[in-house]
Amino acid sequence: MPSFASQHPVRADQEGHHPRRGHIETTQVLVRLVKMAEAVEEKIKNYRTAPFDARFPNTNQTRNCFQNYLDFHRCNKALSDKGQDVTPCGWYQRVYKTLCPMSWVSKWDDQIEAGSFPGKI
Amino acid sequence: MPSLLGVVAKQLRSHPALIPLFVFIGGGATMSMLYLSRLALKNPDVSWDRKNNPEPWNNMAPNQQYKLFTVNMDYSKLKKDRPDF
Repeated sequence: MPSFASQHPVRADQEGHHPRRGHIETTQVLVRLVKMAEAVEEKIKNYRTAPFDARFPNTNQTRNCFQNYLDFHRCNKALSDKGQDVTPCGWYQRVYKTLCPMSWVSKWDDQIEAGSFPGKI
Repeated sequence: MPSLLGVVAKQLRSHPALIPLFVFIGGGATMSMLYLSRLALKNPDVSWDRKNNPEPWNNMAPNQQYKLFTVNMDYSKLKKDRPDF
């Protein structure tokens, strides 16, 4: 981490904001986000099928399908609220398109448009 | 019958060969009750909270194993592979 030469030590102001530390921390967070987004894009490009999910180890994968559908919409909502790029959410879309029957997906999409979707998004 | 335990004890004293029967039946009943309570309390699909709508299966680690016996599945090699949001 570069340290800027200064005659006087840089102190935080009364509200606790440190001028240079804020700048460096924001940059680090942004770099981490970009790296994560690139890793997810790589994973989406090399997607073959839905991976094993330890939360749903049994034959009945209904909940797996529904959870990924919910996670896709929750991810879209959360990332667009934060103003970030929504492409990492494409992972959840690939997984639920793999697992869910098309009739369920179209029914839920219609319900979301009509505002009657029963899940919590 | 005033005391079921007293009657059973008297019968056992006169027919001690019945003791293994009690042991095995009692052991079987205990094991089934233990498995039912494991299902009721530890199963990630079960939630006793009626007010909120928690999703307890989401609190599992990516390599946490719930099943008692798995075939051809090495849980220690699993990693977290979902994007955060």
